[in-house]
Amino acid sequence: MKNLLSVAVAIFLTACVAQPIKKDLSAFEAAAPRSILVVPIVNKALDVDAPNYVLAALPVPIADKGYYVFPVNTTKFVLEQEGFYEGDRIHQEPTPVLARLFDADSVLYVTIHRWDAQYVFFTTTVTVEFEYRLVSREGVELWSEKKKLAYQPQNSTSGPPLAQLLSAVINAAITRAAPNYMPLTQQANRQVFILSPNAIPDGPYRTTQKK
Amino acid sequence: MHNTIRIVFLTALALSTTACVAPGLYQWGDYEQGLYSAYKDPTQVESLRKKIENHILEMEKTGQKVAPGLYAEVGTFYLQAGSPDQAIAMYAKERDAWPESKGLMTAMIQNLEKRQKAKQESSK
Repeated sequence: MKNLLSVAVAIFLTACVAQPIKKDLSAFEAAAPRSILVVPIVNKALDVDAPNYVLAALPVPIADKGYYVFPVNTTKFVLEQEGFYEGDRIHQEPTPVLARLFDADSVLYVTIHRWDAQYVFFTTTVTVEFEYRLVSREGVELWSEKKKLAYQPQNSTSGPPLAQLLSAVINAAITRAAPNYMPLTQQANRQVFILSPNAIPDGPYRTTQKK
Repeated sequence: MHNTIRIVFLTALALSTTACVAPGLYQWGDYEQGLYSAYKDPTQVESLRKKIENHILEMEKTGQKVAPGLYAEVGTFYLQAGSPDQAIAMYAKERDAWPESKGLMTAMIQNLEKRQKAKQESSK
């Protein structure tokens, strides 16, 4: 819990303080999409579960940003009925075709570049790296972003050095055996869609609720 | 000492969070967590459907907007479980709640109704 908290704070601080150059959002503003179709994910990592985890973690931040997000599991189901099972295959399909099939204003493509846990010197580092691309129903790229996040669960015990070392080793071994990617994935998505200065602009449902 | 630091820390976190991030627009129940559990273990699908249905009822009872896509997801779970009538009812709710979903939901409903009709006629 404590670890999670410090990770959250660290991530949060970097998200709020960093001020990279603002991206050109004129294409986005011209298209002014109300709805976003999140299609199944392309996975360049080795973990076969990764795409489903990432898919499940996308609707909440995007809807919170004020867009209608097409139900991701229903989308997956419909695409499967049409014979599209693999993210790779779906991402090759022209955006206007996908957008027409669902009557969506825009299509979000997400690719997983990294999703791994590395064990070095008694610590495990969990890393995720995602690429996001939003394309209008006419096929114009509206916005894109890349996000890499890593965290090392630290052990917070104090005591004799040997006990500390052992605790670090056990901690790392547990993380390596069952790395929990979800908090990191959720943070990455939140940063990209909500916290970053280069996040997509507020959607129609966010602006109407603004006080 | 430790506790003081912790409290300061948490207060700072709470303040900065409210300052920087607008609160969520919707309640999602167990949707996110449940969805990836169900992907990992397909036997969880039914319990996920029930959880989201209960969550939806709770939202409706308290007059809160149901998050985008939830009605449709429940509909699809029903469809996959072989209950097209319940699926149609849920898709209709999604369509009525969210104008952006109208095209897709109308197409899904018409498709299912056509199938239902064909089935009825073949069984006559």
